[in-house]
Amino acid sequence: MRQAQTKDSKTIWTIGGGKGGSGKSFITANMGICLSKSGSRVILVDADLGGANLHTFLGLPPPAFTLSDFIKKRVKSLHEVLIPTEVPNLSLLTGAQDLLNAMDSKSVQKRKLLRSIQHLEGDYLLVDLGGGNAISVLDFFLMSDGGILVVTPEPTSIENTYRFLKSAFYRRLRQSVSSHAVKALIDGAMDRKSEMAIQNPYELIKAVRQSNEEEAKKIEMEVETFQPNLILNQVRSRKDIEIGFSIRSACQKYFGIRLHYLGYVVYDQDVGYSVRRRRPLVLENAHSRAAQCVSEIASKLASRHQMSFQF
Amino acid sequence: MKGIDEQTYYEILELSPAATSKEIQKAYEHAKETFHADSLAVYSLFTEQEVREIQVAIEEAYRVLMDESLRKSYDQSHYQILDQQKLENPPEIPVPLRERKPPPASADVPVHMGEEIYRGKTLRQIRERMSIDLETIAQETRINLKTLELIEGEDMEKLPPLVYLKGFLKGYAQSLGLDPHKAVEDYVHFLDQEKRRPPSS
Repeated sequence: MRQAQTKDSKTIWTIGGGKGGSGKSFITANMGICLSKSGSRVILVDADLGGANLHTFLGLPPPAFTLSDFIKKRVKSLHEVLIPTEVPNLSLLTGAQDLLNAMDSKSVQKRKLLRSIQHLEGDYLLVDLGGGNAISVLDFFLMSDGGILVVTPEPTSIENTYRFLKSAFYRRLRQSVSSHAVKALIDGAMDRKSEMAIQNPYELIKAVRQSNEEEAKKIEMEVETFQPNLILNQVRSRKDIEIGFSIRSACQKYFGIRLHYLGYVVYDQDVGYSVRRRRPLVLENAHSRAAQCVSEIASKLASRHQMSFQF
Repeated sequence: MKGIDEQTYYEILELSPAATSKEIQKAYEHAKETFHADSLAVYSLFTEQEVREIQVAIEEAYRVLMDESLRKSYDQSHYQILDQQKLENPPEIPVPLRERKPPPASADVPVHMGEEIYRGKTLRQIRERMSIDLETIAQETRINLKTLELIEGEDMEKLPPLVYLKGFLKGYAQSLGLDPHKAVEDYVHFLDQEKRRPPSS
């Protein structure tokens, strides 16, 4: 799998997926702790527009310094707004609203901000995106090829995740082509009721191939390399675990993409208790079943990181 | 990216061409579960028509790949087509990788995507489709051959006590590549129903 890596071999994982409340922030915070405990330098970025509260999952008060201070030039570098945590090697960057406003703009500021974030010193950057399909959220998700979707085994969560995935998928395809006619076809595919009657990605590629073979090849290449990841949260049964494999198969048939099923986190009351105590589960109760699931997923990510060094 | 009617049987079931019959059975179970009409993973992504087409393709792929002679001739014709394709190198010509069926127009298409209940009879059918004899299962699982015969024969009177039966069912199902939990659940449920049935005159 290909992850977004900067020159200093930093790996960026963006954690998204349609629905609020599926456990993205819980997983981001706890996975970040697991990675930093193994000696890696980890930065968590809170980009949850709907409710930035990653600090709460880490047991921190609302941060005194945020991205605003950097954007409004009250500090010189992004490093100055990084908040240290009680966990060695783990720091936090907050400022969801500013971050996403900047992402929406086409300004120099946006490029500068992204560059600054990507140049933060660390081994892993974990970006918590929150819910919704806003363009800014999609662009952040696509910033890393290692986008992670967090889903619960419920119809509403799966439905929203598919909606999010479709939006991200078509946005990525749109960004890869230059022809306006092909961009219009992609827009048509996003709206199943449009006059173009393109029902799915397969029909889209067929339609593009008829009008522009070269652009069709570009799209096929994008489909090939778009490999998001899936974490199933709050699973209660074996059947729930299998839903992850079914989502993977459904994505293969529908989008033609390879979705990596990273693993699952079991439903565990200890999660609720730890959130209420504002203590990260992997520190508070490392032997709980949910904490062990998160640790296992983090170690999978770490091994991929190590593997990617070899290439 | 390929449409469902362009995929090989192996691609439809997400298998390698070297798949064993156990792997085919397992992949089929998974595909059936995934593309069931009420599947959570499917209903919001595909149209009903698309799901029906995939269901037909899955059944067709399973039917051919589980039959030794059909699979052999499919593999031969498939690889012949691929070889021919390499020789002539005409990528523009669509190659019929498998027999195409007309798309199902209505709900009366014989698609067997309903949940299969694992009772003794079903387990035997699955085993026979996989061309595995009961002695092999007995050797693999170390379950007594007689016990396996009783399980398949659904012999209520002679079956071992439930606590042992569950263990045997798990082992048997695993050896066929089936979900052991489902096998136990279905079989026990089947026995319960049989016990409740009034004796025939």
